[in-house]
Amino acid sequence: MPEKVNDKTVFSLLEVAKSIQKTLSERYKNAYWIKAEMNKLNYYRHSGHCYPELVEKKDGKIIAQLKAHLWKVDYQRINTKFQDVLKEPLQDGIKILFLARIVFDPDHGLGLWILDIDPSYTLGDLEQEKQNTIQRLRSEDIYDRNKRLTLPLLPQRIAIISVETSKGYADFLKVLQLNSWGYSFFSFLFPSLLQGDNAVASILRQLNTIKRVKKHFDVVAIIRGGGGDVGLSCYNNYELSKEIALFPIPVITGIGHATNETVAEMVSFSNAITPTKLAEYLIQKFHDFSVPVKDAQRIAAEYSTRRLREEKVHLTSEVKLFRSITTNTLTSNQAEVKSVQKNLFQQSRFLLRKEKEDILLVQKNILKWAPRKSSQANVELIHAANALGQAVSLSIHRFSLIATQWKDKLIFHGTLIARNKRKDLNNIEKNVLNMSPHNVLRRGYSISKINNKVVTDFKKIKSGDALTTILLEGSVISVVQSTKPGENE
Amino acid sequence: MSETLKYTEAFEELQMLVTEIERGEISVDELSEKVKRAAFLIKICKTKLTTTEEDVNKILRELDSATDVDSDD
Repeated sequence: MPEKVNDKTVFSLLEVAKSIQKTLSERYKNAYWIKAEMNKLNYYRHSGHCYPELVEKKDGKIIAQLKAHLWKVDYQRINTKFQDVLKEPLQDGIKILFLARIVFDPDHGLGLWILDIDPSYTLGDLEQEKQNTIQRLRSEDIYDRNKRLTLPLLPQRIAIISVETSKGYADFLKVLQLNSWGYSFFSFLFPSLLQGDNAVASILRQLNTIKRVKKHFDVVAIIRGGGGDVGLSCYNNYELSKEIALFPIPVITGIGHATNETVAEMVSFSNAITPTKLAEYLIQKFHDFSVPVKDAQRIAAEYSTRRLREEKVHLTSEVKLFRSITTNTLTSNQAEVKSVQKNLFQQSRFLLRKEKEDILLVQKNILKWAPRKSSQANVELIHAANALGQAVSLSIHRFSLIATQWKDKLIFHGTLIARNKRKDLNNIEKNVLNMSPHNVLRRGYSISKINNKVVTDFKKIKSGDALTTILLEGSVISVVQSTKPGENE
Repeated sequence: MSETLKYTEAFEELQMLVTEIERGEISVDELSEKVKRAAFLIKICKTKLTTTEEDVNKILRELDSATDVDSDD
């Protein structure tokens, strides 16, 4: 009860608090559905209770705030429901639609006693945030920047953002290191938180670290796994998604969940559902390189073997053809030579026979003209004729040579001789004059004629012939009495 | 990076060689030379598949020196 002090009615704090409590409980008898942003969950592990900070913001400024409490039993039930629906636990910074009683406790003051939270409202809100992030990245034209980069043919050097002890990291490394094709990878771990409220800042920090040594890496892999399908809303964060999209080398993600893709996964160069699948993606890149190389090896070997075999066959057939052609040509030429030979033989035989016949004819003629000659003589004659012929032609040849030699001499001496001869001729002329019948008759000789013909043959003169005897100064005609041979000197 | 370019170029040249071979554009006279070249390129590619030359210590050293300059941790 209030006291009276110096005309003043004075209430104790408890009385006021109790009054408020009474008024409020009478005024707010029901539970109400309220929407607010849960700034902090304030979960106390020890008691299992939560004391969320609820706010309402306008243009980024808090325009209302109230404390709240969520008892352990309710928290566990609601949290399970959230994880079923949102794949997210109750966490700081989400918008919630909750059923609460307005309670005032003298001990703790005004607060909201949260009885239930509707996860679908939060889901819608998170989805909204995700859509906003996508929209913003698209409008800033950075949504597919990372996708437009070129992954090296062999993404061999991997900067891994993960947790060393996580199953996803182990799975990823196992696939890469135990690959049965002997492909070699180099990986370097940049440890980071991967889920929950601090994941964004942690991942951003490691991305910045990697940027400083990016020349050592072909690709960044963000790997999470083994943590269940919860706590992924951080991957819809605008800042993180933007950093991934703008990262200078390809970022690939293996965050490991089966629900809708997060924005970080959407903007990454490539995304796989699990770390194992992500490792297989890299292995596949190696296959894509290795298979054509192996094919090239096979094709080059097969082709060159086949080509050489073909050339060999070709060459063999060419040789065969060449041999056959040359053999044919040889055979046909041989036949021609044979036929020419035969012809020549026949013709020469014919000619020989003809010549023989001619010779026989000549021989016959010779025999006819020299019938008494023996055949031996005949042969000798033929030999002699041949020898003569040869000798004649030889002599002709020789004489023609000598004649040629002599011709000059002859010409040279000709004039001289002619002059001498002319002298001789004058002498001869004198002699001839001496020898003329007139001079002869003058010396006492006479010429006898019968019937006006000079008689030189003694025997032609018969007894009784009229013989004319010519002397120098006249002729005597006489009749022959007798003739007597052998008396004249 | 020059090494990366090298294996990439080797791969591309190899692909071109195979195309040439498949089209039968190589004469027997060139064959020996081309096959020798292909073998050389294949070796580069295969070596790249199975070896890496990155050095963890070098990366760590670079990270340390970079952190000294702009310590954002």
